[in-house]
Amino acid sequence: MFSKLLSSQILIYNIILFFSFSLSVNFFVDFEVVNYIAYVLFHLTLVYLVFYFFKFYLFVLSFLYGIFFDVFLIDNISPHLISFLIFVALFYFTKKYLLNLSSNKVSFLIIFITLSMFFFEAIIANLQFNYPINFENLFRLFTTTIILFFPSLLIFSKIDKL
Amino acid sequence: MALSFKVKALSRSRIIKNTFLSFILLLSFILILFSKSDYFVVNKFKSISNSYLHPITSFVVAPVKFANNIQNQFYEFRNLKVENNILKEEIMRLKKWQALAVHNSTENRVLKRLLNATDNSLSLVKTASIISRNDFMFSKMININAGIKDRVINNMAVVNHRGLVGRTVDTSINNSRVLLLTDPNSSIAIKTISNESYSLLQGAEDGVHLVSSFNKNDKMPKVGDLVVTSGSAQVFPSDILVGKITKITKNNFYVLPFVDFKNIDYVQIVKTK
Repeated sequence: MFSKLLSSQILIYNIILFFSFSLSVNFFVDFEVVNYIAYVLFHLTLVYLVFYFFKFYLFVLSFLYGIFFDVFLIDNISPHLISFLIFVALFYFTKKYLLNLSSNKVSFLIIFITLSMFFFEAIIANLQFNYPINFENLFRLFTTTIILFFPSLLIFSKIDKL
Repeated sequence: MALSFKVKALSRSRIIKNTFLSFILLLSFILILFSKSDYFVVNKFKSISNSYLHPITSFVVAPVKFANNIQNQFYEFRNLKVENNILKEEIMRLKKWQALAVHNSTENRVLKRLLNATDNSLSLVKTASIISRNDFMFSKMININAGIKDRVINNMAVVNHRGLVGRTVDTSINNSRVLLLTDPNSSIAIKTISNESYSLLQGAEDGVHLVSSFNKNDKMPKVGDLVVTSGSAQVFPSDILVGKITKITKNNFYVLPFVDFKNIDYVQIVKTK
């Protein structure tokens, strides 16, 4: 029973989500790169999960992770919650068009959505809570996303084959 | 018949899904609204998630913390000899300062007695250690292991041996969060020691400096002036060291805090006596 449970891709993706969430909300001053990698990995995994394993429970998952990210990183609820829910809702209403796209196009769409989410979160945090848009942080996130994108897709495709 | 049943079942599941989606969106809207208006339900939710979810995430990242500690220890060990020499020089310097401080302290006590002045020194509420940091990306916050059970309440001043660190927000039974001075949403009423110009400071965009957001009487201080809390906003006690003015622009001035926010291990929560 356990082997069946462990081989389930959804469970593995959820473990990745929770692990990367935990790493993102615990800042390591001398190990900052870990936080960036975890934060990017969380977004990439969420977008991938929504694209390839869309289930209605993902709304609840995005809702909870959105709230907890906001509570831990901003101490106010909004940017992550809005960004995650808008993305999942947009996918839900346009999935019949998006699923017809080729895998290459979907890959580029994943990277584009991830980058847009970072930007969107920064804008909402700036508009609502006066946090300045830190372009250095955004640049680091964008670079990490581009570096991490292909290795993570490779890992995800291995997980899919389990 | 079968077709109509299928259509009915499909539409029912769609109705349930849409209702559920609307419920989630409505709940999000309410939470955002409450969060903006600082409603107590959201504060309660924040303190609960801080108390229960944070230990779980800390447990999950324990191996990474362990690796981080080993890396730090390795670097410290490598720099041991250089650091030892620096510390020897520091001890010599501090011994001279100690002699001067003891002399000044005695003189101060005698003068206070002569003037019959009221003592406004700080009283220590609790010394706490940092359990985790949340100053990644947006807000600048740390979590400490002191809460309501230690008589810590919201908006108490938090200091360390170098000066002002921040103030407590979101206190729960065992833990509290400290909003650091470098957060763009923190606001501190300060005055300079030299010409007593009063201002408000908030965290600058770089996450390192503090920038003035309001200057009383448009009186600009000088570069190199020391900045202390003025005590006028009733949040921080007066005369706690904040930092040194490093840059002045047309309308603002920048302050480099004395506290090294990357190396905080222990803090003290204080209040006015």
